[in-house]
Amino acid sequence: MRTRHFCSACGKVQPAVPVDYFTFFGFPRKLDLDTSVLEKEFYALSRRLHPDVFAQAETQERAWSLEQSSMLNDAYRTLKDPIKRTEYLLRLEGVELEEQSKQATEKARATGELKKQAVPPDLLEEVFELNLHLEELRMQKKAGEDDPAMLEEIGKAKLSLEEKYDALFSELKSEWKKWDKAVDSGTEEDRRKIRDTMVDVLNRRNYIRNLVRDVNEAME
Amino acid sequence: MAYSEKVIDHYNHPRNVGSMDKASADVGTGLVGAPECGDVMKLQIKVNPQTNVIEDAKFKTFGCGSAIASSSLATEWVKGKTVDEALEIKNTEIVKELALPPVKIHCSVLAEDAIRAAIGDWKKKQNVAKPAEMQAQ
Ligand code: FES
Repeated sequence: MRTRHFCSACGKVQPAVPVDYFTFFGFPRKLDLDTSVLEKEFYALSRRLHPDVFAQAETQERAWSLEQSSMLNDAYRTLKDPIKRTEYLLRLEGVELEEQSKQATEKARATGELKKQAVPPDLLEEVFELNLHLEELRMQKKAGEDDPAMLEEIGKAKLSLEEKYDALFSELKSEWKKWDKAVDSGTEEDRRKIRDTMVDVLNRRNYIRNLVRDVNEAME
Repeated sequence: MAYSEKVIDHYNHPRNVGSMDKASADVGTGLVGAPECGDVMKLQIKVNPQTNVIEDAKFKTFGCGSAIASSSLATEWVKGKTVDEALEIKNTEIVKELALPPVKIHCSVLAEDAIRAAIGDWKKKQNVAKPAEMQAQ
């Protein structure tokens, strides 16, 4: 249920209730969100909460309207962006990435077993290799040399990274659909699996995003 | 955010940067990453097969200053230790030594992971190198 931004009896603005951003807009905690609906809701609420509307209002009401509109902006910005929306939902669901990693290290310490890395080893290998190439490229640039073969190789790597990046987004979107279904009719076990997959996809995407950024910087 | 003096020192003068032959039987390689920020760290150790003492260590880190400092410090610490002693190193000790702030704790976790991964890789090689023992089990 959507939180009440205005009093249903007198129409006055209400203090902001500390709810999650989905609830703020009256959406279920689902991911395959129709952003045009979100946008419409956002603009409608923005108009009603605009400071001009409250220019003559009492101090209390003005303060509440400010609170509401700042929450509105945060909620809109978070839900509009597909990645932020996914990360936000995972956080709501209690997924703490850093905490997980620390716990895994502690477990490895206690049991002597090897910690499972959050991304597959071949991706790490690829990230590492490409970083080495980039470093070399930067050094060559500084020295005023250039190496067309190296540039070509990095250019190729960039293309394949971009492909992977897109593929990961499609993978994420298909997980959204599974998640939304599981919200309605899945078991907690189903949902846990989907959450884990989404974390995994986001982790891999992080690496690739940083790499693409670094490649672009180095090739400038 | 300001880095502590020790971090800056390791950052400007990283110890033991480099690499060793991954294929060598007495070298263990650990390659780990922090998904939070996308940083990667490679740490390698060279172990004396008679004494199990880590005689040399090298690292290469693509990441933030704290990750570079943590791995630089880790190579210093593992050198001269036996493999088992090196497994005792905890990320919290790195945090303390480098005065890392809470947001940089994961960088030290990465260094501990790298030590463990390198030792794990080396141990695996030792088992494979002694097939007779494996069969006896
Ligand atoms: S910020 Fe990620 S390793 Fe330091």
